[in-house]
Amino acid sequence: MTAAGPVAEVSTRRHLGVLAQALLILVGLAIIGAAVVVGRTARAEAMPSGFQRIVQGTVPQFVVRCAYSHSSTDDPIVYPGDPGASHRHDFFGNRATAAASTADALLGTDTSCQQALDTAAYWAPTLFDHGAPVVPQGADVYYRPGPGIDPASVRPYPHGLMMIAGDAMAMAPQSTQFVGWACGSGGDPQAEAPICPPDAPLRLKVVFPDCWNGRELDSTDHRSHMAYSRGGRCPADHPTPVPQLQLTVRYPVHGEGHELNLAPGSMYGGHADFINAWDEAELAGQVRLCLNRALVCGVISNKAEDVDRPLPTRA
Amino acid sequence: MTTRSRTALVGALLAIAMIMASCSSGSSSSAPAEPGTKASGRTIAVPADQPTIQGAVDAAQPGDLILVSPGIYNEAVNITTAGLTLRGTDRNAVILDGEFKLENGVRVLGANNVTVQNMTARNYTNNAFFWTGVKGYHGSYLTSYRTGNYGIYAFDSVDGQFDHSYASGSPDAGFYIGECFPCNAAILDSISEYNGLGYSGTNAGGNLVIARSEFRFNRAGIVPNSGSYELCYPERETTLVGNLVHDNSQPETPAIDVAKLAMGNGILTAGGHNNLIIRNRVWNHERVGIGLVPFPEDGPKDVVPTGDALTMPCSEARNLPLPAKDALPGTLLWDSIGNRVEGNSVSDSGLADLAFGTLTGSEDPLGNCFSGNTFTSSAPAAIETTMACSGPSGAWTDTLDLVALIASERPPSGDYKVQPVPSPQPNMPDATTAPGQPAVDLPERIDIASIPLPARP
Repeated sequence: MTAAGPVAEVSTRRHLGVLAQALLILVGLAIIGAAVVVGRTARAEAMPSGFQRIVQGTVPQFVVRCAYSHSSTDDPIVYPGDPGASHRHDFFGNRATAAASTADALLGTDTSCQQALDTAAYWAPTLFDHGAPVVPQGADVYYRPGPGIDPASVRPYPHGLMMIAGDAMAMAPQSTQFVGWACGSGGDPQAEAPICPPDAPLRLKVVFPDCWNGRELDSTDHRSHMAYSRGGRCPADHPTPVPQLQLTVRYPVHGEGHELNLAPGSMYGGHADFINAWDEAELAGQVRLCLNRALVCGVISNKAEDVDRPLPTRA
Repeated sequence: MTTRSRTALVGALLAIAMIMASCSSGSSSSAPAEPGTKASGRTIAVPADQPTIQGAVDAAQPGDLILVSPGIYNEAVNITTAGLTLRGTDRNAVILDGEFKLENGVRVLGANNVTVQNMTARNYTNNAFFWTGVKGYHGSYLTSYRTGNYGIYAFDSVDGQFDHSYASGSPDAGFYIGECFPCNAAILDSISEYNGLGYSGTNAGGNLVIARSEFRFNRAGIVPNSGSYELCYPERETTLVGNLVHDNSQPETPAIDVAKLAMGNGILTAGGHNNLIIRNRVWNHERVGIGLVPFPEDGPKDVVPTGDALTMPCSEARNLPLPAKDALPGTLLWDSIGNRVEGNSVSDSGLADLAFGTLTGSEDPLGNCFSGNTFTSSAPAAIETTMACSGPSGAWTDTLDLVALIASERPPSGDYKVQPVPSPQPNMPDATTAPGQPAVDLPERIDIASIPLPARP
């Protein structure tokens, strides 16, 4: 262990007296502390942090509910300025999002979100049922400190930050840490789309990375400027904790008899995109007042599910 | 015993008593008061001293009074300073207006002992008045209307009170106290109308009293519920006493889906435990006047707590680990358990004046009981015999048809932005002269036994 060096070095200096003994104790405590931290990090290093399996109210958050806005085959992150170049997407938040959109152009325009100052662009692939596009009921957006991240350390996204989460081309299950299907707002994500009851219909849940490299708003692969935290820490090359964004797309799909696929093809290809075009002062305020102060500034509960039919009864 | 030993004994007892007295009163007399638990005596006037309410809040020290003169303030005020009193000089003329662009009128964020009094907030996309994560809160003589979520709202907060307030035009609840146990809170002398729900209290309870208030013309009146999707489950130990609950079948209100489902019911506990529903006057409901019903929760996060977990304060229960995913049922059944319904007057209900429903399929009252109520119909029949508080007897007939309770089409949600504008509401006395009143020693002492069944207006 690297800790052995300082211990040996200090032990040779014991004859220096009381001062050295005190120093030894302090260093020893530091080593124990470091070992604890190393142990904790080593355990958590195994897996980057994503979906938080918690009861709402347990961790700080603010939330935004957005109606469905529009659909198109545009993708302003992957194919900027190239209309129709992508597979079909459903857009939420900013109502003007199109291939040529930039954060500056989106700022201050109309939004489908209940929070009128959230003019950010959110999008996800279109879900098809028997080949026909399913019109989503809307999307819920959760902003939280990443799991184990000190809430006081979270910083707002820089204006214009672009993020992608999940793999559109996945033909096999992705980690449900980041992408999954669930029934209702409270359901845990699964790789396969479950058959959902009417009062808790189908959701696509995508968790974005919560650490930023502090420099770039985008990167060549649109991913490497961001990273997922591990064990409550952001990696050294992505040192800035930002809110962990979870996008939940709500579909009016429940029961049997569906033949579902997700653009561009596989149900395993769940993904979502985000351009930060929030009103800057409002986003900074929400991060400072809610996340940094470790408060729950809102919840999205299944009380507000878009129920298609009455609650089922059980015999 | 000798005089001397008696004197010694008395002396010792006196010493113990003095020590105990100093311990129990230490926080209020000998130790320095927490910032914001006492009025500072300073007043900041808006707009005279500060042009905006937020400016005044930002300039204020704990315990200050911010006195707002009439005007329309297009602000979303955030308060993070303890013990402020934010007061309008005229409840009906000091108006916070979000113009359907701003989220919350006044939001108190983790700042204890904050009082908001004598003003109106309207046209906010989220809530009018909202406290979160606080100990000590007071909303008094407040008017809220046309809000996108709740009207007057306390979440994850304890030791508070809403009184003499009015809330209308919210798709969720006009008044909401949620996620607290024990809440130590009260809603008194208030009016809630044209909301999806008059009152909602998910997972709230423990010395929580709703009294002397009126819930009318909502989709549903008073609807506390349990659910593992938020902390502090189950809903429990709420006392509803001396309220007027009527005509909560209003089809034109804004309404979230639960409000649509609950439409046409006066008082409905959905999976609540040990609530006391006494001396309320309840009339004119399409479905049920007072009903104790189950709440089946799909995709639960946890199971129904039992044993110590059921009486544990939420501050401790929140640290309990969740069960493994595969140990959870697909649907978690929250039954209404141990509720007492006594001395209410209930009339003109479509399905039943008094009702108990369960999905367990057995004739087990689950500790719920009905006695001394004035009513004409019930499910099960003869509910004050089959579920009498003195002990149930007799076989059940005509049990509550839960399918009928929740079935049938409901009118779609109305637009919260076009709900009725309330008539002028009473002002607080001495609004311009009363000193700052940090929210301490709340809720006020409420003599439940002295609150009568109210007369029909």
